[in-house]
Amino acid sequence: MNWKRIGDLIRLRYKLMWARTRLRSGKIALFAIGYLLVALLAALLAAGGLGAGILAIRTGQAERMAQVVLSGLFVNAVFGSVLLGFGMNAVFGDVELRRFPLRRRERFVARHFLGMADPFWFFILALEAGLVVGLYVYGTYSFWYGALAVLLLHVCSYLLTRVVGVWAENLMNTRSGSMVVLGLILALSLVPGTLMPMLKKNPALAAGSLAVLRYTPPFGAAAAMTHQGPRAFLGMGLIALWAVGLAAVLAALERRPAGRRQAAANVGVAWESPLDRVASLFGPRMAPLVGYWLRFYLRNNRFRMLYLFSLPLAAFIVYNLGQIPKWVASPFVAALGALPIVAFMGTSRIAVNQYGYAGGAFRRFFLFPTDSAASLRAGSYAAVLLSAAMIPPTAILWAVFAPRPLDPRVVLMPAIDAVTALFAFHAIGLWTTLYGPRRGDYDKSIGNDLSLMGNIVVIGSTFACIFAPIALGRAATPANWWLALPPAALAAAFYAASLRGASAVFPGRRERLLAVLEGKA
Amino acid sequence: MTNLVKRYGQTLAVDSLSLSVPQGSMFGFLGPNGSGKSTTIGCLTGLLDPTAGSVEILGSPFTAESAGLKRRMGVMPETLGLFDPLYAHEFLAFVARMYGLEESDVRRRVTELLAALDLTDARKTLAEFSTGMRKRVAFAASVIHSPDVLFLDEPFESIDPAGVALLKQWLRRFTEQGRTVFITSHVLETVERLCDRVAIITKPGKLVWQGGITVLAGEGAIHHDGKDFGSLEALFLHLTGERYTDLNWL
Repeated sequence: MNWKRIGDLIRLRYKLMWARTRLRSGKIALFAIGYLLVALLAALLAAGGLGAGILAIRTGQAERMAQVVLSGLFVNAVFGSVLLGFGMNAVFGDVELRRFPLRRRERFVARHFLGMADPFWFFILALEAGLVVGLYVYGTYSFWYGALAVLLLHVCSYLLTRVVGVWAENLMNTRSGSMVVLGLILALSLVPGTLMPMLKKNPALAAGSLAVLRYTPPFGAAAAMTHQGPRAFLGMGLIALWAVGLAAVLAALERRPAGRRQAAANVGVAWESPLDRVASLFGPRMAPLVGYWLRFYLRNNRFRMLYLFSLPLAAFIVYNLGQIPKWVASPFVAALGALPIVAFMGTSRIAVNQYGYAGGAFRRFFLFPTDSAASLRAGSYAAVLLSAAMIPPTAILWAVFAPRPLDPRVVLMPAIDAVTALFAFHAIGLWTTLYGPRRGDYDKSIGNDLSLMGNIVVIGSTFACIFAPIALGRAATPANWWLALPPAALAAAFYAASLRGASAVFPGRRERLLAVLEGKA
Repeated sequence: MTNLVKRYGQTLAVDSLSLSVPQGSMFGFLGPNGSGKSTTIGCLTGLLDPTAGSVEILGSPFTAESAGLKRRMGVMPETLGLFDPLYAHEFLAFVARMYGLEESDVRRRVTELLAALDLTDARKTLAEFSTGMRKRVAFAASVIHSPDVLFLDEPFESIDPAGVALLKQWLRRFTEQGRTVFITSHVLETVERLCDRVAIITKPGKLVWQGGITVLAGEGAIHHDGKDFGSLEALFLHLTGERYTDLNWL
């Protein structure tokens, strides 16, 4: 194994990170401060793990505590990174590494060492390491066993994330892939809600599940941390086995690269599709642009995945948050937060970075005999149209499952909130497109390639939707449904003003956008 | 263009460039890598705003907002500017509609262009096309609305010889009809055979020579700096600084 070359590549990865930040004027200080904050946060997270370690010793249930903490971290790391895309961006692809004198196995190791060197994974490692330190300082457990177990667990969580990511990517490129992914997401979103009551009612099932969980990496790591001798070795062996197995699965999946979605064999030249008919509603000058943007969204795997995912996510939020009696109070309050998320989740990635996935095609918009900002508006119209189409089915679904007897206002108020979110999010999306662009990969389904501003808008909007109704407290009742109307009107006005304002700003921003999209800034 | 200047911050990309391109000519715009050719085309087509200077196209002042003039211009950008998720026919129809062509013309021209340029595989999106095929699509998009002025940035690279021959034939007919072609290329033999006039710039976007080159076709020579140059390549290397560095390990 050419470790020297792999080390050089890891150094290059951080040099590139630094160089990219340095290219943006005035960002050097921000980068330094950002990393300082990250270091502080990592220390805090490590202290969190440390706290769990202390608690584990004090309760006398060190292994059980370690199992719970490590399983939680493991599941969150895997699903958090797959869904939000953190820690999933490949720095170098296999094709790029082929130019270096590295064999296939070395390229595989190099790519994934680089992947694990992503700052996101250090957060998780810091938390896990905190637990090890807690167990070592306040108990009689071996630091080195714990450290090795945590490192192996860390490798397992990274590899499982990659396996899920590559598998989902490959699946999305098949004809029925979107539906399979939707089915899986639906099934997974229902697991916590259905499994917990079943386990409570049936202790034998709980014991059986626990027996199965003993063979998972977090339980293996917990055993290795809290035992000595054969049990510790068995735990360590189990995680090592998982790591080797996952690496083998990942290598096999990567050897079968995702094919592009193939059109039907009998595809012919179609001059007018339903998309063109929808686009024609915007008038002859805007129709071609709106038609293009509709295709741009609908042919994008990431959009399709998020669009389909938004509905089960809403159901998941309503079902799970609605069961927290003191905090959320009712499924109705949860629905007030969940339905608005559907109004932007699908289009969110592209709506806040409209040109980020267009690459060199961005130039084309300036060659047409029309005002160049027409493309910005058309992209936004397409996003609003697609997102708005999700509101009625979500409202109907909510009406079906809402508590009985059904008060129409229970459906009306969340639907109006969804309209508010639709306009407010897409208005902010216009500004983020102009002021927080980032070059992304149109063909990727997984991974986070938004700018800091884009991430703040998407994640911040999601949390705002969930917590705003909770913050309303007692005012969030069906009787006060009319309270939702003024924000909806304001959001619509904000959207209209943003269309005008962003169109005016757009020509002045085009050279900056061009530089970012073509990798020159 | 008159005294065209383009700066990126402190970096000067085009330095007081003045050029006049006769209508109906095939004009070659040459220069080494990074000399500002694409930046100049960007300013001439409305993609970039000049820092100073003015541009006139077809006798009228041109800015990024000159929609009427843009309708009469065809551009094949350096990066091709293709919308990758679309199929070739969708992309060409989209471009034609953006230029305001009648729907019957859209369908006829798209069909004819796809057939002429051998782009009839309707199962592939533009992202799946080879580099040469992408170039053909970009060329088709630049001519679909029958422009009066055509800007082509490196049009022949990656296209096979048969495709190049076809494009040359079309371009010659284009100028015979009194329309103008503004072309950049690093393939000097092609420029020499195709163009009537040439401008050569060096870094940073500074004009060093312009004139007619038809004399080269008749075994003649271009007289410059007291020397005779029998080929465009010889003149180009002389003007841009001929360099030869020997690496003894290579």
